[in-house]
Amino acid sequence: MKKIKWTILTFAILLSVGGAFASRPHALLSGLYYYNGTGYMPVVGQEGVTYVCESSPLTCTYTLSGGVYTPYQTAASYTPIQATPSTKPAPKKEK
Amino acid sequence: MSKKQVLVECACALLIGLFLYASISKFLDFKTFTDQMNNQPLPNSWTPFLVWAIPLLEIAISITLLFEYTRLIGFYASLVLMIVFTIYTGIVLLHFFPYIPCSCGGVIRNLTWSQHLALNLFYVALSILGIVLQHRKSFKPIFITNKHSLV
Repeated sequence: MKKIKWTILTFAILLSVGGAFASRPHALLSGLYYYNGTGYMPVVGQEGVTYVCESSPLTCTYTLSGGVYTPYQTAASYTPIQATPSTKPAPKKEK
Repeated sequence: MSKKQVLVECACALLIGLFLYASISKFLDFKTFTDQMNNQPLPNSWTPFLVWAIPLLEIAISITLLFEYTRLIGFYASLVLMIVFTIYTGIVLLHFFPYIPCSCGGVIRNLTWSQHLALNLFYVALSILGIVLQHRKSFKPIFITNKHSLV
């Protein structure tokens, strides 16, 4: 009975650990880009701080590889944080 | 091994599989996970706490589910965690927040918010099943467990 139990659990552990490593996204060699309607612009700042990816049928960010822009964060649109009525605290005004 | 015992082991295996996969994926791509946490419509000041608390909690629950004497605690903890995730997903879907963040940063990247909700509900049901079966096993009346000794 214990043998069957540990076989099932070991299988689950190996599958999940292996799956996590196998599905690990490749490290980004170049920066991210967004499409502003006319062209691709480099993403400046940090996600969730200077911009958010809102749920939408578009593509939020792209990666650039060999001169080709490949969708990176899909089903979302790039929205600068100032334009988003978010719950996040507004940036401090400098005196 | 009884049918119920196999069911308990399978429920454990599925929950351990989900939590281990989720936590290890987060640690393997920690920067993206941090960015995605910032992308959620929650205060960014919560991020430094949540990026460590969530994966560590998931690993802790997986460990408790492994061993017989801590399994019931593990099932209860996984139920609470999955209910919290489900409520959050439901709130997002109900447009409670000013914007809907993309679900692209989740562990299972290709799922929409509705599909995430369905997956979460499945794991909530699995945790409840585990609790019920584990309770029956843990608190089995003495006359049943010792029936052989009574004969």
